[in-house]
Amino acid sequence: MGDRVIVAEDLVKCYPRTNGKSGEKKTSKPAVDGVSFEIRKGQIFGLLGPNGAGKTTTIKMLGTLLIPTSGGATVLDHDIVKDYMEIRKRINIISGGDRGLYYRISGRQNLRFFSDLYRIPRRLRDVRIEELLQKVGLEKAADQRVEEYSRGMKQRLHIARGLVNDPDILFLDEPTIGLDPEISREVRGMVRDMSKDGKTLLLTTHNMNEAEELCDDINIIVGGKIVAKGTIAELKEAVRKKSVIEAEVRRMTPDVIEAVHSIDGVLNVACSSDAYRSILRIQVADGQDMVLPIAKRLENCRIIRVSREEPTLEDAYMSMVIGDA
Amino acid sequence: MPNLYAITGSFKKQALDFIADPQWIIPSLVAPFTFTLVTLMIYPERDASIVLYAVLGGGILGMWSNSLRASGFSINYDRMVGTLESLMVTPTPLMEVIAGRAIWNALIGLLNSLLVFILAEVVFQTSIRLADPLMFFIALAIILLSLSTIGLFLAAFFVFTRASSVLTQILELPIFIISGAMIPINLMPSWSWPLSFTFGPFWGVDALQIAAGVSSTSPIPVGYAGDLLILFAITAVYLTLTWMLFKKMDGKARESGSLGRY
Ligand SMILES: Nc1ncnc2c1ncn2[C@@H]1O[C@H](COP(=O)(O)OP(=O)(O)OP(=O)(O)O)[C@@H](O)[C@H]1O
Ligand SMILES: [Mg+2]
Repeated sequence: MGDRVIVAEDLVKCYPRTNGKSGEKKTSKPAVDGVSFEIRKGQIFGLLGPNGAGKTTTIKMLGTLLIPTSGGATVLDHDIVKDYMEIRKRINIISGGDRGLYYRISGRQNLRFFSDLYRIPRRLRDVRIEELLQKVGLEKAADQRVEEYSRGMKQRLHIARGLVNDPDILFLDEPTIGLDPEISREVRGMVRDMSKDGKTLLLTTHNMNEAEELCDDINIIVGGKIVAKGTIAELKEAVRKKSVIEAEVRRMTPDVIEAVHSIDGVLNVACSSDAYRSILRIQVADGQDMVLPIAKRLENCRIIRVSREEPTLEDAYMSMVIGDA
Repeated sequence: MPNLYAITGSFKKQALDFIADPQWIIPSLVAPFTFTLVTLMIYPERDASIVLYAVLGGGILGMWSNSLRASGFSINYDRMVGTLESLMVTPTPLMEVIAGRAIWNALIGLLNSLLVFILAEVVFQTSIRLADPLMFFIALAIILLSLSTIGLFLAAFFVFTRASSVLTQILELPIFIISGAMIPINLMPSWSWPLSFTFGPFWGVDALQIAAGVSSTSPIPVGYAGDLLILFAITAVYLTLTWMLFKKMDGKARESGSLGRY
């Protein structure tokens, strides 16, 4: 294995579908369609992609919850179909959202129960749970019922639950979804700590800043297929040729966006506005030459600034997902 | 080797869940007690054996209802709150987790029947005497085991059907009747007897009645020891079937990914 702890080869998953009316069994189009990648020990590997792209399905296959329709993978050198019990001892999955916890019992009781499923001796279990509660900042609420927890507290408990077996590999499926910025930041801190502890992490997220901040390596999946892979720098490099111009203006109308879009060499225009101003992020084929024509088209919009920007991961992501790369 | 940590941990968790929200008290205590009450009121002359029959019947009804409802819905509950995948991703087979719960559920049924017993004492001053208390409690313990196994079986079975809540309603009374705890089965049409014979608790109930000092009404009187032996054998068959069902469920779930959905 060397230091490759996850190796996926041509993974395909078609969910069986039962036709509601006739009860006839069919398989739908593949949710994951030939995914291959390798994850090295200690990495934070980001799997990004739009809704329904197949991220969760990929995680479930690697996490032994789903059998691939074809292709295969090894996790820690074990086959995900045959040796799933061995794999389960050394991995865990943490999902975002507030489902997946027993809400009538306390946080501590949840953790004890899940620990017991890993045959952790009682003394070690209780020591570890104490540590975990501290790590995720739930010491005070540990003996409160989960139904009284806020969304953020539930996410913390989820994280602690995912760590009860001290796994070597953690799958984090949108761990910051629906959290406020402050708690999101804390969760990102926890993710970094896990990585520092030597764990290998596979992370999915729709937040590009988060991916940029955390991930070493990124794969972008669209419609079940990997469309791009590399480090953040490499992905950005791929869109650097078509750099980005940012324009800040006071007045904005839809037809101006149209007008900018129609300029030769403009690939993509994204606009965000607040009460005082609008910011256009314009992907262009060649940044240098485009500033002037764009500024000219924005003449009547009371320009604050027009500048050439370094592409962000989000620009790279957008261009790969939308497919004008 | 089953994971005893998991089974006891799951038993404890179920206990905590129950204490947090003891909603099962209503079907498993009120209904059995009503049964006992009605039986006692039907018979104008309450000789000791009628009273015992009524109380035993109420108790068994409590145990059966509890196993059927609480264990039967066990996996569906996890599906509903989204914990099923957190369970599946651990190295403990689902069957062991549900076993811990099924034992708790049957035990609560037992406690309920004890309450029925006490209530009957208080309300009707029945002053029940068991012919052989030790044999009685041994039989009770084995019934507990048998009902836990049935609960476990139902838990897996109900995952495969969307009709589980309808089935629960439909199964509750008929199965109680064929157990022989409500009416002696020699009063039932003989075509129903084979159903009773394949239902483990039927033998348990007969053993209980013998131990309590009520004469056996079984069409095949095999005596106390015979009853328990057969009960053991049937329970072993249930356990094997259940194990196969869980295996099938696990395979199917990993194939279709349908367990995470609700
Ligand atoms: N249990 C299931 N049965 C049938 N189809 C499913 C099931 N789960 C997912 N799918 C389908 O498979 C495809 C991929 O879904 P998946 O959940 O893997 O996407 P995702 O990338 O995680 O999306 P999101 O960002 O919204 O979480 C989707 O088209 C989805 O409808
Ligand atoms: Mg998903």
